[in-house]
Amino acid sequence: MATAASHCLLRLYEERHELEDYQSGVPRWCTGCGDNAILAAVQRLCRDEQLRPEKTVFISGIGCSSRFPHYMKTYGFHGIHGRALPVAEGVRMARKDLHVFVNTGDGDCCSIGAAHWVHAIRYNMNMTVFLHDNQIYGLTKMQASPTSPRGLRSNTTPRGSFLEAMQPLTVTLGVQNVSFVAQAVDWIPELLYDIVSAAYRHRGFSFIRIVQRCPEWLPSLFEPWLHDPERVRLLHHEDGIQVSPALARVYRNQEHHNPVDIDRAREIASCIDPIPVGILYRNPQVPCYEDLRATDHLRTTEFIKNGLEAEFDKFTVWPSA
Amino acid sequence: MDATRQARVAFYLTGKRPGAELEPVEGLDLRPALLARYRDLSTLRYDFPLVLLTDGEADTCVRSLSGMVDDALRQVARGEDGERVSKHVLRLEQAIRQASRGKSRSLSARWSEIAAELGPERDALLPDSLDRALEALGSDGEVVDCDGELPGRFVSHIWQTAQTKKARRLHGEIARLVHRVSNILRADLARSEKGRSADALKASLGGLDADAFDFQALSGVLSRTANRTTITAARRSRLEQLIAALQSYNFEPQAFRFTSCSEALAAWRERYPILVGVARAIAMAELEIAGDYREERHDVFFDEYGADGLSPDDIALFADYLVHVSAADMDAGEQAALMEILSSGLPMKILVQKDDILADSAPGQGGQGFARSAPHFAHMALGLNDVYVLQAPASHLLRCSGRVADGIAYAGTALFSIFSGTNGFVGDYPPYLVAAAAAESRAFPIFAYHPSAGPDWASRFSLATNPQPEADWPEHQFDYEDAERHRVSETVAFTFVDFAALDERYARHLARVPSNGRDDAMMPIPKALAVEVEGQPEQVPCTLMVDDQDRLQTVLVDERLMRETRRCRQAWHSIQELGGIHNSYAERTLAEERKAREEAVQELAEPATGTAPAPAAATQPEDAGAEAGQEAAAAIEPEAEPSPDEAYIETPRCTTCNECTQINDKMFAYNENQQAYIADVDAGTYAQLVEAAESCQVAIIHPGKPRNPDEPGLEELVRRAEPFV
Repeated sequence: MATAASHCLLRLYEERHELEDYQSGVPRWCTGCGDNAILAAVQRLCRDEQLRPEKTVFISGIGCSSRFPHYMKTYGFHGIHGRALPVAEGVRMARKDLHVFVNTGDGDCCSIGAAHWVHAIRYNMNMTVFLHDNQIYGLTKMQASPTSPRGLRSNTTPRGSFLEAMQPLTVTLGVQNVSFVAQAVDWIPELLYDIVSAAYRHRGFSFIRIVQRCPEWLPSLFEPWLHDPERVRLLHHEDGIQVSPALARVYRNQEHHNPVDIDRAREIASCIDPIPVGILYRNPQVPCYEDLRATDHLRTTEFIKNGLEAEFDKFTVWPSA
Repeated sequence: MDATRQARVAFYLTGKRPGAELEPVEGLDLRPALLARYRDLSTLRYDFPLVLLTDGEADTCVRSLSGMVDDALRQVARGEDGERVSKHVLRLEQAIRQASRGKSRSLSARWSEIAAELGPERDALLPDSLDRALEALGSDGEVVDCDGELPGRFVSHIWQTAQTKKARRLHGEIARLVHRVSNILRADLARSEKGRSADALKASLGGLDADAFDFQALSGVLSRTANRTTITAARRSRLEQLIAALQSYNFEPQAFRFTSCSEALAAWRERYPILVGVARAIAMAELEIAGDYREERHDVFFDEYGADGLSPDDIALFADYLVHVSAADMDAGEQAALMEILSSGLPMKILVQKDDILADSAPGQGGQGFARSAPHFAHMALGLNDVYVLQAPASHLLRCSGRVADGIAYAGTALFSIFSGTNGFVGDYPPYLVAAAAAESRAFPIFAYHPSAGPDWASRFSLATNPQPEADWPEHQFDYEDAERHRVSETVAFTFVDFAALDERYARHLARVPSNGRDDAMMPIPKALAVEVEGQPEQVPCTLMVDDQDRLQTVLVDERLMRETRRCRQAWHSIQELGGIHNSYAERTLAEERKAREEAVQELAEPATGTAPAPAAATQPEDAGAEAGQEAAAAIEPEAEPSPDEAYIETPRCTTCNECTQINDKMFAYNENQQAYIADVDAGTYAQLVEAAESCQVAIIHPGKPRNPDEPGLEELVRRAEPFV
């Protein structure tokens, strides 16, 4: 509850932030890495939405993609492997005034962090999650990840991987309380930005899987898709992504898909070739966990102390007189 | 003219009953025919009594007893013993209705009291039925009937419910601000010399293991090494003042309840500076917490804060005043105070209770006989445009409870004009019936005006709660038995005459026809209103009433009462127009449109002369479509294709991979969206352009033709550049 005056004054002297105000350092990613495209799109989003750097936080796990917070001049938390989401949930719960973003890779999210991922979808806390999916462990120099295609030869699968790749979209769409699922590819920056922007504006757990090239370890994996626009299917809708005329001329393989239709979304999610790009599912009605658990109770020192004392007392052994 | 007719016309014109042809109605206990069925209200299931629930939101905290019982029965009266449970509970409901006349009590207490009276000795299963239903009722509250106290209790209950919620919200918010501001001071203390003293450090550790530390040494280390930035003295004093100001507001709803407009106004003026102080403190605290308070910018602003009044949204954070006044007791000073409140938009909810809307000025005092003082406050407030106005009789309050809640939630002044139906001149008619008759007869029409419900009258003003709002008078089917014992059914309108007939002061305007029958020289009121009479009337107006034996009586009405009835209908027409019913402007426009359309149709129907219409007309839409298509195609046509000889990048497709900028960051640069373009084609060699084109992941760099013909190895480079042309 702010009075009209404080609300106006807070906005009145807000400084205009340029894209450079969100840049921090020179990314240490390899030249040609798709992470650069994601970073450019996200910095553009921050500028266009004029997010206050001190009210914005990027949280990551471990991996190439998880270096992301280092390159944003905002708050950041380069966490531990697979645990970006629990950290983000804690931040969200304690600081509802922050814009929370999560960067996680295919290994970080779909392997070691898979349990947290599934429950984070169910909690549906308001945050934007980027799954940087390059289908390989890059930081540790080429080991197969859960999303690596079957037959991929890597340091851990020298005879080719034996299992079908995991589909992050179908997993996400299968979890109760899912509220926003989209897919982007790093080589169509215009759509990448539109999808990131839509995800940010959705209130709830916005999950974007970004299909991303790794020029170092899998330089030719996406070549066929990159050079044949027919192998990318754009999902468009009045309530979803609208494709610009220029883009529509290059990418003619399009589908009119209503993001409220979860059954069709699940069918689309199963499709590997052509790669679907756009918003698969969006349901703003799903309640957010932080709202369900909201309390008017002030966390005063006294309140926290009493709570802790009560917990400790449960385990205290009192010396018999 | 025969004597009978002479007497009737004379009565009509003068209000005097000269001979034996007409009888006075006084003492006959006549009532309007349409009210014959409502002699004993306690046997009917209707809105009353109401239950003012102790829980619930502002728009759901009042319910009718019968509604609650129905809900409970839906839950418990199922299966084999459903009928038995229903019977028992409905019997109890009727007993509660009877017992609630003039005495209010909580539902649970009343329930147990009546349950004990009905007694298990007469029916062993009764306690079981009642206990199950009581459990299903869920909520409790005061049971109130429709009486003189109802308007006050009803509005006050909804107001109290809304204020309690508002107070809780504001308290919570102020506590949060105080907590956050105190945290700034506490953090500062921890950084200060005092906070790092050995004693303070020791106190912060707690009792256990305190001896294991050398706090003196710790204090010395911390004072030398840790961050010592502290807040300025000016800021500290500002923060302390903020906390004091925030804690100074007392939002106790009872302190905002008044029974006089001038007292409420005086209290508002006295308390306004405190209000401004708290609103200012809230605004400043928000800025301090966000770390955005800049003395050079904000001090000037906050020094003058509230000098020109607070915005309605800011005022709406605080308590609303409730003022309950009786229209009869308002002197000129009170009326002036009321007008001041209404026209200044203060956050006050005014309940003007009217007990008598037919106040009669005594004969010979220059009055017109009728001085319908009644609805003028509500009508005047409508003209002010930003006052929430609700006019309703007490009988319809439950149906208007959402509107009362809207009025209380409205950020500004609200006026509730309520007719209680208790004026002391209506014999033993229950107030409910009198109030309902006032609405039914258009004497006290129901309307609501919500200034922020939309941009126009259609969305702000509503007449929907009135009975048959489209009609002049509500009409009902009336069945009776004639002298030959045949059933007769006719449609009877409930008019202002019927409402005035309830009031013993107006009996002199009525006269019973002893022959007890109607003839051609009489006509019903609506018909009499429709004809304009000059000179002696051919027919005199009459209405139907019943006596205490339920015998139908024909009663004549004099000209004075008819004149008042006409005035009432006129007032109703004005209100109808505001509500969009038979709106004269709309009807005129409609008539003009109709006329224009008929003329157009007529013109078309006339045989065509001169040249025949061009047959191309049918194909026109297609042409237009094609044209539009071309236009659309033109709209998405790209800008001019770049020349294949020039070097260029398809910038929107750039994925920011740094390949080209690493080859030459003078030649290739990023734009404001971090996407590459050729900044200076002469800043590097053609070889670099070709190399960049080859290494670009998405193949969007087109090297064009070489600009420097002397560059070595050009032939080879041009060959390599070919795929990117």
